[in-house]
Amino acid sequence: MRRLYAIDEGAAALGLFVGQKATDATALVPDLRLEEADPGADADALLVLCDWCARFSPAAAPDPPAGLFLDITGLAHLWGGEAELGQDLIVRLARSGVATAFAIAPTPGAAWALARFGPSGAIVAEGELAQSLAPLPIEALRLEAEAARQIARLGLCAIGDLAGLERPALARRFGQVVLERLDQALGRATEALVFRRPPTPWLARLALVEPITAPDDLARVAVDISRQLCGRLEERGMAARRFELGFHRLDGEIPSVRLSLAMADRDPARLARLLSPHLEKIDPGFGVEVVTLLAGEVEPRPPRALRLDGEPTSAEALAPLIDRLVGRLGEAEVWRAEPYPSFAPERATRRAPPLSAPAQATWDPERPRPLRLFSRPEPIEAVAPIPDDPPVLFRWRGLAHRVKRSEGPERLAEEWWRRPFAAAAPERIRDYYQVEDEAGARFWLFREGLYDSGPPPRWWLHGVFG
Amino acid sequence: MSKAERLQRARARIAALGKDDISVAGVLAFGDPRVDARLPGGGLALGRWHEAAGEGLEAETAATTAAFVSLLAAPLATRGAVLWVLRRDDLYAPGLCGLGFPAERLIQVKARNDDAALAALEDALGQSGVAAAIGEAEEIDLTAGRRLQLACERGGATGFVIRRRPFGGRTKAREAALAAASCWRVAPSPSVPEPGDPGLGPPRWRVALERCRSGGSGAWIMEKSHGAHPLRVVAELADHELAATPAWRMAG
Repeated sequence: MRRLYAIDEGAAALGLFVGQKATDATALVPDLRLEEADPGADADALLVLCDWCARFSPAAAPDPPAGLFLDITGLAHLWGGEAELGQDLIVRLARSGVATAFAIAPTPGAAWALARFGPSGAIVAEGELAQSLAPLPIEALRLEAEAARQIARLGLCAIGDLAGLERPALARRFGQVVLERLDQALGRATEALVFRRPPTPWLARLALVEPITAPDDLARVAVDISRQLCGRLEERGMAARRFELGFHRLDGEIPSVRLSLAMADRDPARLARLLSPHLEKIDPGFGVEVVTLLAGEVEPRPPRALRLDGEPTSAEALAPLIDRLVGRLGEAEVWRAEPYPSFAPERATRRAPPLSAPAQATWDPERPRPLRLFSRPEPIEAVAPIPDDPPVLFRWRGLAHRVKRSEGPERLAEEWWRRPFAAAAPERIRDYYQVEDEAGARFWLFREGLYDSGPPPRWWLHGVFG
Repeated sequence: MSKAERLQRARARIAALGKDDISVAGVLAFGDPRVDARLPGGGLALGRWHEAAGEGLEAETAATTAAFVSLLAAPLATRGAVLWVLRRDDLYAPGLCGLGFPAERLIQVKARNDDAALAALEDALGQSGVAAAIGEAEEIDLTAGRRLQLACERGGATGFVIRRRPFGGRTKAREAALAAASCWRVAPSPSVPEPGDPGLGPPRWRVALERCRSGGSGAWIMEKSHGAHPLRVVAELADHELAATPAWRMAG
């Protein structure tokens, strides 16, 4: 049976309601325009709207089907107050044709209830929570429709009516979830929202009087906003490792620049310098109206860490270089190799951030390991007349090498715990040999498999020694 | 004026001309007069940049050159950070560790092309706190070389450039970089294990000093050692010995 999924104001005025049979509705209003509901597209649109809200708070969580949570803790001062923030949000959404109601409250549950069932634009402070929620209907508690109906059938119409009842009785009668929702709304229980981005007070925001498009203007606001956020970081003795500069365009798109630094920093001049080469990739479209700068991985930092002799510490001295290299080549291209406990040679190292403290453990210098390891072993044609001996002759990349000396084998078995037990087989055993040809060049060869079982063994070259 | 006096004066003038070629940052002596005598100041000039190249397949794998350079740079690692600008991500830290190089502190950088590699190398050399920076590049022209030199002078770091051809690249006639303080050619050399040892001896290299500013040239067989300098001279080669034994032969 087809029912109405959502209606607009005009339809509501004609007496139609959500959940009504479609046939009944068309009987009442013959020229009613019906569209197929598409919940998937609605959810996608909600996510887009959620990301758009980054201009108000980095911590925005979608609340399907048609709600959004914004954590605006510590951010309202950027607008001059909570009421102004809310008004700005409503006006901007209305301009894009989205009708919205909002409420600001200390808990997500209370804000949800007030936005839907309370006075429009309600702003509730910590102390007035219970009082302002009391007259709202039971549905405002975000309950299953059935549970809400059951409570209403007992003559309990408002949230305030529940407050007088004994908690154990309430839980027994209507389920634990009713108590939980009540506690969440009143701030007696915490509620974890899944934000698109973690909430942070480290957000700076510049609302521009006139939308800007010129590259020079973008560069200038980047400097201004860096100064603003870095000033606040400095005041609190903090510094950040990650920054995200977002340009909120008139059309709702948010092209942004992400920076990650080798060491936490708060120098606005340096930040602006690192941001500036990326600004040319920003497409301002028809204009940028709001600019936000978000700091991540914020950590305390004393004014300046100096060694006793006044020289900056080595990591601090290198940080600018690492940041320049990362900016030019990409974050994945600058690293420090770190030992990783694995028998497989290709997994014995792991990439670590370049300026992190080196691990205490290191590789065993006594095991022969090549200086250049090929990411993929290369097949070689080998003449190995004696089983379990290295080849006497092999051909690699068109050149024949006569083996003069060798050491080995070093047997490295496959790490069987990485695969299903049945897949571990003798042909996955590798016997590594270090061989030297007549010119003195050294190679790291291995034979895959055993002579007495499985398919015939194959020879590979995995690396070259210096 | 006697002949000896004239000779003396001429030597002084030559020394004065080459004054700016003798590094102010000091030298790192090999500890063997057979090598140190060929180098100005009696050792590898610090605060300069040096070039190392290999031939044949070595020009592509750059393994012996990497081993040689890492041993030259190892004593510098105690003075500050060491960076290695790679063209391929194939430098294997456990292998470096086996050569006695503090690989766990090495900062590795991978660049997409020669220009990016040389720019990163230049940037690293100019940074205070960096003791040595090693870069891999196929070509290095005079301008890029001069820029590296200026960066070395600014930061006091010592640079190394490993000439490396991309895999499968065409062989080009290699010209030693003119701006380098010294140019080395490195090839593998058969090791000599202890008598009675069936395995391999310490790695050996055939090292030729092709060109050196205000210095000479020469060729030696060097071996990895545990002494004061990580390289030990085993024998000095005469010029004809170097020419007679090509490091690589085509076999077919």
